[in-house]
Amino acid sequence: MMQFYFSNIVLIQATMTGLLLALSIQVPIRMGVFSFAGAGAYGIGCYAGAIFVLDHQLGAIPTIVITCLMTGVIVLALGVLIQKLTGLYLAMATVAFCLIISVIAINGGTTTGGSTGRYGVISDFTMGGMFAITAVALVLVALSERGRLGRRVDAVREDPELAASMGVNVRRYRLVAFAVSGVLGGLAGSMNILVRSAVSPLDIGFHLIVLALTMIIVGGSLSWKGAVLGALIFTWLPDLLKVVGQWQELIYGVIVALAAVLLPRGLYGIYVDTKRSVQRRRREAAGPPAGGSDDETHAERLEPEMEGQR
Amino acid sequence: MSATHTEPGGSLPTGVDPVLEVDDVKVHFGGVKAVDGISMKLMPGMIHGIIGPNGSGKSTLIGAMTRLTRLTSGRLLFDGEEYQNASAAVVARKRVARTFQTVRLLPDLTVLENIQLGADARADDKSGNVLTRLLGKQISPAVRDAVSRTNLEGFEDFYPSELSYGTQRRVEIARAIATGPRLLLLDEPTAGMNQKERAEISALLQSLRTDGLCQLLVEHDVQMMIDTCDHVYAMNFGRLIAEGTPTDVVRSPQVQEAYLGRKWRDHA
Amino acid sequence: MQDLLTVISLGSIYLLFALGMSLTWGTIDILNFSHGSIFMFSTFTSYLVLGETTLPFVAVALIAVVVGAVLSVAIQVLAFEQIIKRARTKKNAEMQILIGGIGIAIIPLAIAQHHTKSNPFGLRASSFEVETWLLGDLRVTNISVITIVVAVALWAAVSLWLHRSRHGLALRSIGVDAEVASLMGVDRRRLALATMAVSGGLAGLAGVLFTFSLGALTPESGDTLLVKAFAIIILGGVGSMLGVAFGAFFLAACEVWVLTQTSGSWVEAVSFGLIFLVLLVRPAGVFGRKEVRRT
Repeated sequence: MMQFYFSNIVLIQATMTGLLLALSIQVPIRMGVFSFAGAGAYGIGCYAGAIFVLDHQLGAIPTIVITCLMTGVIVLALGVLIQKLTGLYLAMATVAFCLIISVIAINGGTTTGGSTGRYGVISDFTMGGMFAITAVALVLVALSERGRLGRRVDAVREDPELAASMGVNVRRYRLVAFAVSGVLGGLAGSMNILVRSAVSPLDIGFHLIVLALTMIIVGGSLSWKGAVLGALIFTWLPDLLKVVGQWQELIYGVIVALAAVLLPRGLYGIYVDTKRSVQRRRREAAGPPAGGSDDETHAERLEPEMEGQR
Repeated sequence: MSATHTEPGGSLPTGVDPVLEVDDVKVHFGGVKAVDGISMKLMPGMIHGIIGPNGSGKSTLIGAMTRLTRLTSGRLLFDGEEYQNASAAVVARKRVARTFQTVRLLPDLTVLENIQLGADARADDKSGNVLTRLLGKQISPAVRDAVSRTNLEGFEDFYPSELSYGTQRRVEIARAIATGPRLLLLDEPTAGMNQKERAEISALLQSLRTDGLCQLLVEHDVQMMIDTCDHVYAMNFGRLIAEGTPTDVVRSPQVQEAYLGRKWRDHA
Repeated sequence: MQDLLTVISLGSIYLLFALGMSLTWGTIDILNFSHGSIFMFSTFTSYLVLGETTLPFVAVALIAVVVGAVLSVAIQVLAFEQIIKRARTKKNAEMQILIGGIGIAIIPLAIAQHHTKSNPFGLRASSFEVETWLLGDLRVTNISVITIVVAVALWAAVSLWLHRSRHGLALRSIGVDAEVASLMGVDRRRLALATMAVSGGLAGLAGVLFTFSLGALTPESGDTLLVKAFAIIILGGVGSMLGVAFGAFFLAACEVWVLTQTSGSWVEAVSFGLIFLVLLVRPAGVFGRKEVRRT
C-alpha cells in the first residue's frame, strides 16, 4: 500500500489537480454557463503561485489563498464583462481568454520567465495539505448539488426563464459560476506549481481545455461524481495504456470522440439512467399508482423539441 | 379604439383594490405589435380569462406581466405598486406564479422535486432549519398540499419523461400552487388533457378561488372558459376587443367574428 | 509594399481556411472544431503519398482536397448527425457538436504526431519548386500568387454558389429557418453532406497552400488556425461571405502590423483580442445580419 503510494505519488497529485481543473469547468456548465475560463485561471494560478513563492517568499498556504482570491476576482470580472453572451459565443470568448493568458506568459519577461517559464518553486506544501484542500473543495461542490441549491442550479441550466419565474436571480447565479470557476481553477493551478515546482507556457493553453472537457465528457457533466470518475480515468489511463505502446494517444482520442458522440451525459449518466429504469421496472411490478389518472403513460411522450426554449 | 365593454353584468366589483393592474401596456417586436395598448384589472378571489385566436398576444401579455418579456411601454401595478422595471425574479417573489404554454419541467428532477422548486420560491417557508432547507431533502408542507390538490399522489417519485402529457401539466400547476401565489397566471393549462382531466382542473381552480386567490386563465376551450371564469377578456391583434362575463363575451359580435367564427368553421 | 503583399497572401490562406468553417456554421449550424485537424491531416496524407512517389503540384493539392472532403463527410455522418439525432434541444446539440469536434480532432492529431514525432513536415518531395521573382523591389513567390488567385476565385465561387444556385438558396434557407427549408422540400441531409464535403475540400486545399508557402506544417498548427478562423468569422458576421473575406484580410493586416511593430511573440494575441472586442462591441459582426441570435 505505502509502496504503491510512493511510487505513484506524481499520479496521485495529478489526479487532484486534474479533478479541480475539471470541476472549474464543470461547475459553470452545471449552471448552463459554457465557460472555459477555469483553464485560464489554472494558467494564472500556476504563474501566480511561482511568482509569490519565488519573488515574494510566501509560504504555501498564503500563496494558495491569495492566488485563489485573485483568480476568482479576475474570472468574475471576465464574467461581468461577457455576461450578455451565451452558448458558442460565450464558450469562444472564454477560449480566447485562456489563450491570451498563454501569450502573456510568453511575453511577461522575467516575471513569467518567457518561453522557459519559472522553475525551482520549492515551498513548505505537504501532501496532507493537498489532500485536505482537495477534499474541502470537493465537499463544497458536492453540497451545491443538493437540496434547494441543487434544484435551483438545475433550473438555471435547463430553463433560465423558468428559474426566473421561480424567483431565482439567474444573473447572480451565473456570475457566481464564474467566480467559483476562477477560484477552483486557481486552486488547481497553484497546487500544481507547488508540487511540480516548474511551469512553462507549454503547460498552459488550449490542451488544458481539452483535458478538462475530456474528463467531464467521459465522466459525466452533471455531477461531481462524474468529474472524479473522469479525473481518475484520464490521469491513470495514459499510464495503463503504456501496455499498448505508442498508440495510446490514438486510443485516448477514440475514447473521447466516442463518449462525446454517444454518451453526452458520460459514464455517470449511464449509471443514473440505469438506476431510473430499474426503479421504473420495480414500480411497474408493484402496480399503477393509487391517485390520479395517467392512462396514457408512455403513449404520448413529447417529441424532442429541436426549437429549444425560444 | 378602446375595448368594447359588454355592459351590463360584465363590470368588475367596485370598492375592492385589484391585485394586478395592467395600464396601457405595449409589447412590440420590431414592426410586430404583439401587445398593443392593453389595460386590465385582476381582482382578488376572481378567475379572469383571456380568449383570442392564436397569435393574438395572449402569451406575450402573460410574459410581460411576469417580466420575462420586455415592455415597450405602459405600466404594471401589483397591489398598487409599479413594477414594470423589476426583474422576473423579483416579480416571482411578489408571489406571482405562472405556468407555461409548453410543459417546462426539469427532466432530472422527480415530480416531487419539481414541485418543491416552486415552494423554494417562498420566503415564508420556515420548516426545518436553514441547513436542511438549503441542502437537505426536506419537502415543504406546501408541496404535499399541492400534490394532493392536483391529485398527483403516487407519482411523487416519477420523472417527467415517464408521465403522460396531461399529468405533466398537472405537475406544472402543482409547482405554481406550491409557490403560495397571490396571483396565478395559467397559460393554456388544459391543453392536451382529456375531458375528465379538464373537469378536475376546473374544479381545482374554483377551489383555489374560494381561498381568495386571483387567477388569470388563457384558454382555447370555450366550454372550459364558461364553466370556470368569472370575467373574460377577448384579445385580437394585440388589442382588447371585448370584456365581461364569459357568456356575454362569447356572444359578442367582435369575438364571434375574430375568433369563434373562424374557429367553428375550422371545426365544422 | 512588401508588407501589403504579405498581408494579401497571409489573408488568402486565412480566407481559404475560414471559408469552409464559415460555410458550415452559417448554413447548417455546425461549428466544426475538427476543421483544423482536417486541414492538417489532409496535408499530412499528401506528405505520406509524396514519401512514396513524386507528384506535381496539382496532384498533391487534389489528394488533400479529396482526403479533406472524405474526412469531413465521415465526421458529419459518424459524429455530428448522431449528436443531432440524440440531442434534446438545439442549444445542446450546438455545444455537443463543439465538444465532439474537439474530441474527434484528437484522433488525426494523434496519428500525425505519432508518425512525425511532433516534428514539422513539408511537401518538398513534390516536383513543385517555389520560385521567387523580383518586380522592382518587390519579391513575389509563385506560391503566393497561386494562393491569392485560388483563394479569391474559390471565395467568389462559393459566394456565387450560395447566392445564385437553387442549391445555395436551399442552403441559405436552412441557415435562416430549418422548418421552412424542409417545407420547401429541401433534402437537408444531402445538402448538409455536400456542404461538409466542400468545407473539408477547402480545408485540404488551404493546408497544401499553407505548407508550400511556409515550407512546413506542425501537427498542432490546426488548433491555432481554428481560433483565428473563429475570430475571422465573427468579425465579418456569421454566414456573411463578404464578412469572411473582410475578416481574413483584416486579421492578416493586424497581424503583419503587430509583427512589424513588436518582437513577434504578441502576434497570436491579435486574434484572441479581436474575438473579445467583436463579441463585446458588435456581436453580429461587421457584415452580420441585424438580428443576433439570443441563444
